[in-house]
Amino acid sequence: MTANPVRADLALLLDVGSAWAKAGVIGRVRGRWRLVAHATQPTAWGATALRRSLVDQLAASADPRLMHRLDDLIAGANRIECHTARRPARLAVVAVSRELSGSAARRAAEAAGWEVVETVTFDDGRTLAGRLGILQAAEVEAWLIAGGFDDARSPRALEAAALVASARRVDGGPVIWAGSAALADEVERLFEPGALSVVGNPRPDARREEPAALRTHLAALLREAVTPEDETHLSSVAFPRAIGALAGATGLRILGVDLGARSATRALAEPDGTFASRVHARGGLAGTVFAPGAAARVARLAGDAGEEAAVADLLQTLRARPSSLPQTSEELSATQTAARVQLTGMFEEGVAGSVDLLIGAGQTIAAAPRPTQAARMLLDGVRPIGVTQLAVDAAALLGPLGSLPDDEIGEGLALLGEDLLVPLGTAVVCRGGVPGRLAMRVTVHRAGWPTRLPIEVRTGQLQVVALPRGQVAEITIELQSGVSLGAVRRSSQVQVSATGGVVGLILDARGVPIALPKRSDDRREVLAGWRDSLAREAIAGSERVA
Amino acid sequence: MSVVHRVRLPVGATPMVEVGHSVEPAEVLATRRVPRGGINLAVSATLRRSPADAERYLVVRPGATLVAGAILAEDNRGRQVRVEEACILLGYDRDDGSAMVAPLSGSEPVLGHVRGNVVSIEPDAIELRIAGALVTGVGGSGNAVHGELRVAVHEPGDELRASAIDVGATGRIIVGGSRASAETLTRARAMGVAGIVLGGVLDKELRDFEATQQRRREIGGVRGDFAVILLEGFGKVGFDPGLFAWFRTHEGRMASLFGDTARLYVYDAGPPPGRRVLPRPGDRVIAHRRPHAGQGGELVRVLDRPYAFASGIVGRAALVRFEEGRTAVVPMANLEATEPLPSP
Repeated sequence: MTANPVRADLALLLDVGSAWAKAGVIGRVRGRWRLVAHATQPTAWGATALRRSLVDQLAASADPRLMHRLDDLIAGANRIECHTARRPARLAVVAVSRELSGSAARRAAEAAGWEVVETVTFDDGRTLAGRLGILQAAEVEAWLIAGGFDDARSPRALEAAALVASARRVDGGPVIWAGSAALADEVERLFEPGALSVVGNPRPDARREEPAALRTHLAALLREAVTPEDETHLSSVAFPRAIGALAGATGLRILGVDLGARSATRALAEPDGTFASRVHARGGLAGTVFAPGAAARVARLAGDAGEEAAVADLLQTLRARPSSLPQTSEELSATQTAARVQLTGMFEEGVAGSVDLLIGAGQTIAAAPRPTQAARMLLDGVRPIGVTQLAVDAAALLGPLGSLPDDEIGEGLALLGEDLLVPLGTAVVCRGGVPGRLAMRVTVHRAGWPTRLPIEVRTGQLQVVALPRGQVAEITIELQSGVSLGAVRRSSQVQVSATGGVVGLILDARGVPIALPKRSDDRREVLAGWRDSLAREAIAGSERVA
Repeated sequence: MSVVHRVRLPVGATPMVEVGHSVEPAEVLATRRVPRGGINLAVSATLRRSPADAERYLVVRPGATLVAGAILAEDNRGRQVRVEEACILLGYDRDDGSAMVAPLSGSEPVLGHVRGNVVSIEPDAIELRIAGALVTGVGGSGNAVHGELRVAVHEPGDELRASAIDVGATGRIIVGGSRASAETLTRARAMGVAGIVLGGVLDKELRDFEATQQRRREIGGVRGDFAVILLEGFGKVGFDPGLFAWFRTHEGRMASLFGDTARLYVYDAGPPPGRRVLPRPGDRVIAHRRPHAGQGGELVRVLDRPYAFASGIVGRAALVRFEEGRTAVVPMANLEATEPLPSP
């Protein structure tokens, strides 16, 4: 008698980042596709070590008849892969003013994924010779020139273009003119044919900023000229595609943030599946050290990460050794606070309108030791005003799924179902109110549970109500005068559904942005209160207050 | 052994060497003329035309480099505007009819700061092959310097103290120990030390030192170049004993140190102890993060199961017996194996 051969349908989802490689094995279990193994390791460890990790995990649960074939099965599995761009693309910005054209151009470039290595403006305090010298020494793949309003012919803007023409070699990379439309023809004559592309002015007048056209152009240039590899396999492209497909499938407005070691990506997707994304070249953890005053800020916001000098060393370590791990609680606190600082930087302009679901991805957020820590990073960094579900891409599946062809992404997302994301719960974030005074009164109605007395949340407080994964509650939010959930409301009462998660229902009246006491002892006490409030295990039907 | 060093050429530089040339650190690889600032030249007035009309008669476009005496503008009536000295045309002002030009300085040298052979010359770079070893660090500060290596501490874990810097250190690259204070760095610079090699330094000390130097530069009080390289990390980080021993065997060799890019070339040197990720039991390892940053030891055992650290992070871990005597569990991600030095 011969044994029936055992079939194993497996697929390997890989997300290879600049510092960390994440792999998930999905297999058919009792007719359903499930995530059956997941491993994360430094990218430098290589594919063999990653496969061994996955085999070790599978060995604990796989059919014994497959045991000797696991390595071959994973090696031969269908691979769905995305990866970080091999190196950042560098750009020099030359503009008339630092505050207007310069900052608009710089923001657009960074949002499109470029690393701005030099910014030269006519009010930067340098001499003309100094500016020329800096630009002549710049090692960049492209040049961005901005300045002048569209209705005026600015000689300074033309001078900015001439500076680039003087400093750049012929065939020294593409040049983008994002200045006064009236000067476009004159600027074009400064460069060899085909070198210059003209895009819409991000500062068409003193009051308006319209960076979208420039950002789109720069993003396309980044993909075409600098990263000619298959763009759909780039994490910065694949992650937003997955967010878009998820939004289209669920009818939710979804914001996804992927905080990597080097760069960060944000994607905002509408219920119809359309999405807009931005890549922040220095938005990753390693980039924290470059932000002015970052060490002081992290030390201040963490409260328990040690002195500023120790935090400064840690931020340098995150830059120099991005695939190492925080072994002590102080280092973890500083690392997670650095993540919050980077997220705050990404969302300093805020998010237009409220979002239904906020998804955190990347090693620091999605692999935080405790779900409450992931929730804290998302809440403090993004400040999603309104009622928002929170989730993390714990197994790093969104990137690889987003690299599939358009018509297969939705199918992939649907196949994984509940294994795709880990829901943290729902956050109610309000702004306004008087510190210490009542901000909102929240009543939670759950089917089969007695309705408890309303929970009173004061301005500056954070409360957590147990609401396990899979449960849905109807909540009534009664907002006090001067307190808002972002949207214009006709009534002081708001009724919404809240879905549960591993953290629960988070009621956050800490304001937008979060206000902290100036005195360090008071600040540490407040921060510890918020941390404890999130960290304590909630008893079903009760709330945790800080 | 040999390594290749790339010297980037700024725009407008003219190479002064050819492939195959042997060069010394202070040798000029190329020359360039640096713009000195901007001056306005009257164009429309000289051509006796309106500012808008005169623009048509510019014979070069902004960005072009002109030699002394070259024609900047010329009309069909024989009137000309010439530049008196070599310059770059930056732009033309249609409102007042003047051209802004940046005169170029005399020839300035582009140095390689290394000893080696020219292996390639491209428009944007010259590559040199160096007979020696390259040691890369995780951070640093300062310009390119070169000098003789001198070990100034007894043990790799020792702090480089200001008192260890004496006149014998002038012009040399000092190999310190685990760290140095801003005071030590300041004294080293004042004593004419070319550079310092450290296991680590507090980021704050390095920034304080840089800020002091910047202020002194601004008032003209600092002369000469000085560089620092950090090999292991920031903070109180030890110097890898294996690498320290390698430096000891190369004391007295010439070296070139690039602080900003954290690179140190040691001439006529054998390979430094290598590093490898994923160490195995029995390997000598170096740890990279607190609480063991910079400490060396032996990897006793890789734990069978993931380990939960004090931070709450769960990951692959190894038991390490550190050289100072303690044994601790450390994340594998924070460990590198250090390869032993080849036997002499």
